Amino acid sequence: MHAVGVLEAGLCRAVLITYGHSAYSSDSMWKMLVSRNSDDAVFGHFGATAGYALAARRAMFEFGTGPDTWVHIATGQRKWANLNPRAVMYRQPMADEDYYGSPWVVEPFRRVDNCLVTDGGRAIVVTTLERARDLKHPVVTIMGLGMHNPSAEVTAAHHLAGPTGAKEAAKTAFRMAGIGLDDVDACEIYDCFTYTVEITLQDYGFFGRGEGKDWLADGTIAPGGRMPVNTSGGLLSEAYHMGLTPISEAVMQLMRRCGERQLSPETGMKTYPEIILCSDNGGILQTHACYILRRW
Amino acid sequence: MKDLYAIVGVGYTPQGTVPGRSTLSFHLEAGVNAMEDAGIQREEVDGLICYRHFPPATGEQDVTSYLVAQHLGLQPRYLAQDAN
Repeated sequence: MHAVGVLEAGLCRAVLITYGHSAYSSDSMWKMLVSRNSDDAVFGHFGATAGYALAARRAMFEFGTGPDTWVHIATGQRKWANLNPRAVMYRQPMADEDYYGSPWVVEPFRRVDNCLVTDGGRAIVVTTLERARDLKHPVVTIMGLGMHNPSAEVTAAHHLAGPTGAKEAAKTAFRMAGIGLDDVDACEIYDCFTYTVEITLQDYGFFGRGEGKDWLADGTIAPGGRMPVNTSGGLLSEAYHMGLTPISEAVMQLMRRCGERQLSPETGMKTYPEIILCSDNGGILQTHACYILRRW
Repeated sequence: MKDLYAIVGVGYTPQGTVPGRSTLSFHLEAGVNAMEDAGIQREEVDGLICYRHFPPATGEQDVTSYLVAQHLGLQPRYLAQDAN
């Protein structure tokens, strides 16, 4: 959003966006998580998992979600990762039994409800449509974007079970794009936890409160499903590069550079994808960004 | 602003368990690869946004967007470091 802002203002011609972190092999991630702790850490509330687990608990109470919904997200995304040689979980399939057998980290989250902690980096270049037309790859434009910040610490938040910032951010993005949900061919959703995917898709309007379990069943988001989600494996099964994991995958899919996992008539789609909906969120559901990308 | 701006390149790096590599090195490798993938020279890149300012790991320098720009040979008109 900032990149588009400075391009629109005429301040820049091309903006590079980078992410990098030695998160697995160094102590940096640990330092960050410890720095976020407060006095309630003595009661076991520390790290991002506890915050999102609190939100997920509230959602279980309010609209009856839980592991029987999230299993579809974890296993569906893993099937995508199994088609992506770059994915950390490329060679590790996950059946429903594997999901239910995974150990608790913070109930109701099992280890496989959590995103990966990985070393690595990711970057993208954003420029004008005019310049993009002269470059070598098929043009992928930003059709719409929106941000919304409910902004309260998790312990004081009213949006734990939705609507999160996803609802208003998506309204803004869809208004700009001039399209509706039915026009979306696939989604790349920021998936720090399985529940994050559910609440984001729910707030975007793909299904009603608590209807995710039925909507997600029978491989809806998996290869060959009617709404592919997180086709690289996502943060849960590919690698953690914050919002650049979903955005870069959407770009690569629209450019048709995804190899075996490429969305196409060969992988059960009617056509190659034209429009992909992406998300990013920060804090414990405090801030949300929604992006709609299209093949020009 | 609909369809006025485009994403033109993606940069990857080795990922997963990659010991011995600094946070800075991942920013740089991904950034160089993204510019090369786009077919855009660094002289043309006049904006840089680095995702997230993590606490530096023990033995690593603090990775700011200024440091990333300098190592990439960029002199941006716009520089930021943010979570979104």
